[in-house]
Amino acid sequence: MSRLDDNWRASSGPARLRPHGNLFALRAAVVVAFLILGAQLFRMQVVDGEEYARRSRENHITQTTSLAPRGLIVDRNGVPLVRNTSVYVATVLPELLPESEQERYQIYLRLEKLVGVPALEIQAQVKEREAAKQGFIEIEFKKRLDKEQALRLAEAVVDIPGVGMAVRPGREYIATEFSHILGYVGKLDAAEYAALRKEEYAFDEVIGKAGIEARYEKDLRGERGVTSAEQDAQGRLIEAFDSTDAVPGNSVRLALDAGLQSYVSELLTDSLKALGNDELNGDARVAAAVVMDARTGAVLAIVSVPSYDNNIWSAGEARAAELQGLLDDEAGSPLLNKALSNAAPGSTFKLVTAAAALETGRITPATTRNVTSAKLELKGEDGQPFYLDDWRAHGLVDLYRGIAWSSNIYFFQASCGILGESRGLGKNTYDSATILAYYARQFGFDSPTGIDIGGEESGLIPDPAWKARVHKDGTPGDRDWYYGDTCNMGIGQGDVTATPLQVARMTAAVANGGKLLTPHVAAEIVGPDGKIVRKIEPEWKQVPVDPKYLADIRRGMHESVLDGAGALGAVPGIDVAGKTGTAQFIDYKSGDTFEHAWFTGFAPFDNPEIVVTVYFDRGVGGSKAAPVAARIIQYYWENVR
Amino acid sequence: MAALEWGGGARTRGRLFGGWDRFDYVMVIVSFLLVLLGLALIHSGSRQVYDGPFASLSNPVAKQAVFAVIGLGVMLGVSRFDYHHLTHYAWILYGLSMLSLVAVLAVGDTVGGSTRWFTMGPIQIQPSEFAKLATILVLARFFSEHGGDARELRALVVSLLIVIPCAFLVFIQPDLGTAIVFFAIWLGVVLVAGVSRRHLLILAAVGLVALPFVYTFAVADYQVARIGVLVDPNEDPLGEGYNIRQSQIAVGSGQIWGKGLTNGEQTQLRYLKVPTRDFIFSVLGEELGFAGAMVLFALFIVLLMRGIRVAQIAGDTAGQLVAVGIVVLLLMQTFINIAVNVSLFPVTGIPLPFISQGGSSLVSVFMSLGILQSILLRHRAYRQA
Repeated sequence: MSRLDDNWRASSGPARLRPHGNLFALRAAVVVAFLILGAQLFRMQVVDGEEYARRSRENHITQTTSLAPRGLIVDRNGVPLVRNTSVYVATVLPELLPESEQERYQIYLRLEKLVGVPALEIQAQVKEREAAKQGFIEIEFKKRLDKEQALRLAEAVVDIPGVGMAVRPGREYIATEFSHILGYVGKLDAAEYAALRKEEYAFDEVIGKAGIEARYEKDLRGERGVTSAEQDAQGRLIEAFDSTDAVPGNSVRLALDAGLQSYVSELLTDSLKALGNDELNGDARVAAAVVMDARTGAVLAIVSVPSYDNNIWSAGEARAAELQGLLDDEAGSPLLNKALSNAAPGSTFKLVTAAAALETGRITPATTRNVTSAKLELKGEDGQPFYLDDWRAHGLVDLYRGIAWSSNIYFFQASCGILGESRGLGKNTYDSATILAYYARQFGFDSPTGIDIGGEESGLIPDPAWKARVHKDGTPGDRDWYYGDTCNMGIGQGDVTATPLQVARMTAAVANGGKLLTPHVAAEIVGPDGKIVRKIEPEWKQVPVDPKYLADIRRGMHESVLDGAGALGAVPGIDVAGKTGTAQFIDYKSGDTFEHAWFTGFAPFDNPEIVVTVYFDRGVGGSKAAPVAARIIQYYWENVR
Repeated sequence: MAALEWGGGARTRGRLFGGWDRFDYVMVIVSFLLVLLGLALIHSGSRQVYDGPFASLSNPVAKQAVFAVIGLGVMLGVSRFDYHHLTHYAWILYGLSMLSLVAVLAVGDTVGGSTRWFTMGPIQIQPSEFAKLATILVLARFFSEHGGDARELRALVVSLLIVIPCAFLVFIQPDLGTAIVFFAIWLGVVLVAGVSRRHLLILAAVGLVALPFVYTFAVADYQVARIGVLVDPNEDPLGEGYNIRQSQIAVGSGQIWGKGLTNGEQTQLRYLKVPTRDFIFSVLGEELGFAGAMVLFALFIVLLMRGIRVAQIAGDTAGQLVAVGIVVLLLMQTFINIAVNVSLFPVTGIPLPFISQGGSSLVSVFMSLGILQSILLRHRAYRQA
């Protein structure tokens, strides 16, 4: 580096080897530049500093958002199931109240008269706010004014300083039978707010909390309008800026038929009462039904009884006691959607067993069994006698009669085999169970159906691996999978559980030749201008069972209604096919044994349109559930189709 | 181009550690104080977004301190290096920087609508930083040589043609502020090189005539919008006007003594955008007030005056003009950045030298100081009788 110093020199360039420039201008430029900046700073910080400091304190640009009207939810015919309403809220802004405590108290007393909130309570709230130095934040001292109070307050606020009335968007549901489907809306909680930060929810905005309201939140919400303004500490507008209008949310049109839903709801409620000839079960406490398009998975009705009024969620304290009552009702558990809750499916599950046995070649439709007695005695795995029970001595049955009369022993032979006489689906009882579990899962059991209202249970298909897992802390005897386990599974008992919707979905797959459809309640999203934004398209996957075997199963179901256990499911003039189910279960509280009543069927037989699944927590399938299904099909035929 | 004569006198030969008596320590101390002030402001501006340990490279303050140390090293290194090496290769450096300016338009990163950076792993490189120095070197070389007599109109026009391509390439990035810096450097250099006022007036007249065409064909909408909101920040309070409005409130509300470091609501409630970079002066204005700003101005004035002193006593024309260019560069960057913060200039994304967070800016500023020192260390060696 330094070695080269002095060696660089311009060889020529006559007059300009010596610096000759005048640097005064540059010095002047530096001084002038900083004088300009200094003068501007002096103006901003010293001359106008007080004003800027005030604006900084009172900070400044506020955005007021106007919430978009939420989209409506309508049934297939456009009948609205929910209304947007206004909720009137009484407010007080502490910093606008008069200074003297005496004057303030006069106001509190007047408010007590107007809306019924004790003066001392308002006073305490105001004091708390002011102690926290948040006098500029409004207090909502009464959240839901009734019409009369709102009118009186609106008149009065004109001459009471600091008191106001705010109008917030509300949501009113028109009937209770839609509560489980529609869900409800509510204020965002902290977790939702954190998860939805990007969506920019306002702190007072509502969000769908369950059902359609939650699932289609993005469609229903719309876009907020924004008005920006500069305000001072008193909330006075200094300057208003541009604003954008709110865009109303899209509506959700459901596949659901409101008339059918109401009809089914009433029908189930009226049918809870015990039938005269059923002494074992007594009154049913809950019931559920699913009516579904067998071709598309569109849900026409999905009913759970008893239901509740979902307006209760937005009512707050006013109906807190009522809500607690709903929560405490363990027998009826009205908040729970029974169509999406687990129950032993009983004999309806034999349809799956039949499909598995036919597809694996274990039986053909011509395979018979002579059921000479309702009790079949076998020598068990441990050498002890073991009994297979049927509900009566059917005589000689083939597949069709086996389905029609729901013979247990026929389906034991088809699933677990008759010990010491014939093998089951697999070469041993483990394999048989695993194979049956495989087909059950292919028919959609043991996992949620994916229906667009959420909150569903997934049911359970037990198999040897499952049993070993859940009893891993138990004795080897608990963990082992027995012959009896496979047999129970073959007739939808034991640990098998399924939701009515899963049963309906499986029935649809049998009816439509093997399409396992994803059920959906919504049909399409409609924009505020009435144009269709998007349609909910049917989705399905194919069940790995030859359609010809499904046809055999349908024939069995047809015979069940024609002259079998499901005869009460028949409807004059309509060719119905179906399967009854009467599942024994032990009430874990009392230890008594009761039965669930099931009927799952479709119509018309030769060209299935709809699937109907009916479930009562207590009753006999053929006598309790089948006639209800028949009336539903009839209503559909006359009023919906 | 002039031929160079190798060999000759060796007054300083072999004195690697010599010349320290001529080194400008005032400049070093002032730049050091500016960096310290910058670190304090970066700390205040970043504490709402960074809450990790202090001694970590993800801490913007620590990172900036590391770059400051690198910058000091670069300054010392460059000062040992004869600036004639740089003027000798000026045209090559100029060519390379033109290439990089073209390349950045093709493959650079677009941030906030303008394409200014290359990203190479963890570091971002802004070719215009490099191009500014290259342009200074080429202008110095041109006017120190045979044929580059600033008193002639022809030479003046040629020098303008040297600047225009760079300024244009920067302008279409778009980066209006840096384009203006290019022209300011040119103006400073030609003034010192002895331009005739008459010629400057002619060029100014031509420029005025061309202005409407530039406005129509070359000025982007966002630039019009930014100039518009500068006139009335309320025109678009949440868009273009937001930053200006918030910086006005920040600076103004600082009043005489400021709200105290880390106590400014505008900064700490994050009303200010990029409070450690383009709007760091607003942090200073809010938290250290008019008094703090005057201290900052004093430091900059001392630094720039020391730079002009280098130009004054430079041994030859090349050194003088390089020094002038660097002084103008630092002055304009400082002026434009602060002018943006006090609403005298549209928002344009120029960092405040020594203060704003950002390694490449800091290192290149220290490199400029190194060149000034290099000129200073050799002023006697090149002084002609």
